[in-house]
Amino acid sequence: MSLQIINARLLDPATELDSPGAILIEDGKIKDIREGAESAFPGVETTIDAAGLCLAPGLIDMRVKTGEPGDEQKETLETAARAALSGGITSFVVMPDTRPVIDDVALVQFIAERARETSKARIYPAGGLTVGLAGEAMAELGLMADAGAILFTNGDIPVANAQVMKRAMAYAASRGAIVMSRPDERALTGSGVMNAGAFAARAGLSGIPPEAEWIGAMRDVTLAEQTGCTLILDQVSTARTLEIATAARKRGAKVYTTAAAHSLFFNERDVGDYLTYCKVNPPFRDEATRQGLIEALKAGEIDAVVSAHDPQPPEEKRLPFGEAAFGAAGLETVLSALLNLHHDGPLTLLEAIAPVTLGPATILGLPQGRLAKDAPADVILFNPGKPWLCEREDLLSRSTNSPFDGRRLQGRVMQTFVGGERVFKR
Amino acid sequence: MAPRRPDYTFTHEHLLGIEGLHPLDIAHILDLADSYAEKTRAGIRPDPVLTGKTVVNLFFENSTRTMSSFEIAARRLGADVVSMPVANSSVKKGETLIDTAMTLNAMKPDALVVRHSASGGAKLLSRKVDCAVINAGDGTHEHPTQALLDLLTIRRVKGRIEGLKVVICGDLAHSRVARSTTMALHLMGARVHLCGPRTLIPPGTDTWGAESAGTDFDKVLKGADVVMMLRLQLERMNGSFLPSRREYFRYFGLTQARLALAKPNATVMHPGPMNRGVEIESIIADGPSSVITQQVEMGVAVREAVLHLLAGGKS
Repeated sequence: MSLQIINARLLDPATELDSPGAILIEDGKIKDIREGAESAFPGVETTIDAAGLCLAPGLIDMRVKTGEPGDEQKETLETAARAALSGGITSFVVMPDTRPVIDDVALVQFIAERARETSKARIYPAGGLTVGLAGEAMAELGLMADAGAILFTNGDIPVANAQVMKRAMAYAASRGAIVMSRPDERALTGSGVMNAGAFAARAGLSGIPPEAEWIGAMRDVTLAEQTGCTLILDQVSTARTLEIATAARKRGAKVYTTAAAHSLFFNERDVGDYLTYCKVNPPFRDEATRQGLIEALKAGEIDAVVSAHDPQPPEEKRLPFGEAAFGAAGLETVLSALLNLHHDGPLTLLEAIAPVTLGPATILGLPQGRLAKDAPADVILFNPGKPWLCEREDLLSRSTNSPFDGRRLQGRVMQTFVGGERVFKR
Repeated sequence: MAPRRPDYTFTHEHLLGIEGLHPLDIAHILDLADSYAEKTRAGIRPDPVLTGKTVVNLFFENSTRTMSSFEIAARRLGADVVSMPVANSSVKKGETLIDTAMTLNAMKPDALVVRHSASGGAKLLSRKVDCAVINAGDGTHEHPTQALLDLLTIRRVKGRIEGLKVVICGDLAHSRVARSTTMALHLMGARVHLCGPRTLIPPGTDTWGAESAGTDFDKVLKGADVVMMLRLQLERMNGSFLPSRREYFRYFGLTQARLALAKPNATVMHPGPMNRGVEIESIIADGPSSVITQQVEMGVAVREAVLHLLAGGKS
């Protein structure tokens, strides 16, 4: 069966393609790509007229939390996938910090199977780096990798013991596995709940200082260099952390960096009068830091942007700020957050989508994330300028704790395809 | 009590903090409180402006002093008062602040006086209830009635607030009193200087209105009209904020020798409860410069004024 999408604006960061054209899909893969306004393929069964919409690779999100297993009231793989597809995300990595923790082969297989059964998105389980994420004993990294764990991470709370971290990284390197670590010296983060500084002090909230991230990054990057392990610094929130990564890369270390989409959009002031939807870790930093992060994204120092989707039900958020849970729903707002940096910022359209397509595909070694012959036909049609009002009630996640609630955004996904099948249409 | 400016009316629904108040609001509260203080001193019972009104004291943190102060203030004005020291009850376990607020709201009180250990607790509550909310201390954020009683005490002792040099010394990082009082003093034209150990000085004290925040107590005391000592939570010794009580007292304790550096008639204040021998010498606390018991007295007057304005209908 064949399908073509014509009259599209083709966007492919991998080849820096930004041109009118059409694509031909057969057997779930991209069969051919034609540039030019009059570029329909002859003799194709089904034709979709994009009417000038942008056609880009489906987004790849390297950091999603669901509540499955254990906290299905927050989110299931099914509800997360539904939200993802409506946000243009066709592939995503789910974090291992569930109940129980995804730290053995059977659980990796469980996630993979549940994902296949319940969703049309491509869902990749991440394995726990240590048993129970307790930071003490290395988990079965090799066996889990063989079972399909795409990377290993200790989740929100990094391994505190540097020796355990070093050994886990050395072992992971020997199995060719990727380690993703949230750079965070917990002793400095302490009981902090928002960005440290004058704003937090005045609000009487304890702060999370940026040096906690710098010191955590220095340790992990150093260990990556020493062990040869491929490291992803998870959700970097300051440009100085990126400098640490860039310096190590120049020395040959295999270090990648990600940033959360909401960190590129909000600053600490958005916490305002104790808005718990804006309670995330890493916290929204001050405006100068946010601008620094945007500049770094423009300069190519951030390899991937993630949703950091971490849905929390009302009982975790309808609390005083200090007592509320960290985390924000993010699957449905990643694209708009990035497009904001195109409309109101320095990024070209290709630069805006590269960190959610080519970037993560390159880090994870996935064939999708590009418009290439024989690549999986995971594509989206989106209108980059379409305005919309983000309202909690309209979000498809089971938990809708979005900091974007009530915001006017630009850019909407109109259709989503996975493996050539249309799985979402607005 | 007629306002100082004929076109002025007190328009606030709640008292959540000093932030958001205008100097005219503060002056108006202080004037009204002053009249209540005078009545009490003269043994005159105030008009029962809160007759038929219900005031609920909801204290998630223990505080006998503040709760009693609100209770007495409300009763003097004729209100029905229910005090709920929730800190020790089953409400605290499992039921969230919002659930408690919704339950109480259904009972239709006219004012809710709330103390909570979380910063922003009073604000959160105010979004969920229909009655006036008075913040009696939220975490390390604000304690507005304490600030107002400090100002009233100063105004009565010194005859003015504007232009005075006020030094506030102690654990600024964890003090809601320091935040509220600094902001209020600044709004009313005082020059506020903060002092404490480096580990207990938070960033951005200039945004509270403080002129300086330093670690040299002796230096900043020069020319001070008012010295306000903050309570040092003894737990801070365990959090590596400070080496010892002894060392704290050496550099930041208010002694007679140190007080001599301030103006000769300097006034000494403390929000209580005091750690005698840790932040203040007993001889000063009980001496002629101290107005610490007056602060407690003004506390009731200020709370009468606040309850009157927020729960008493039109003034």
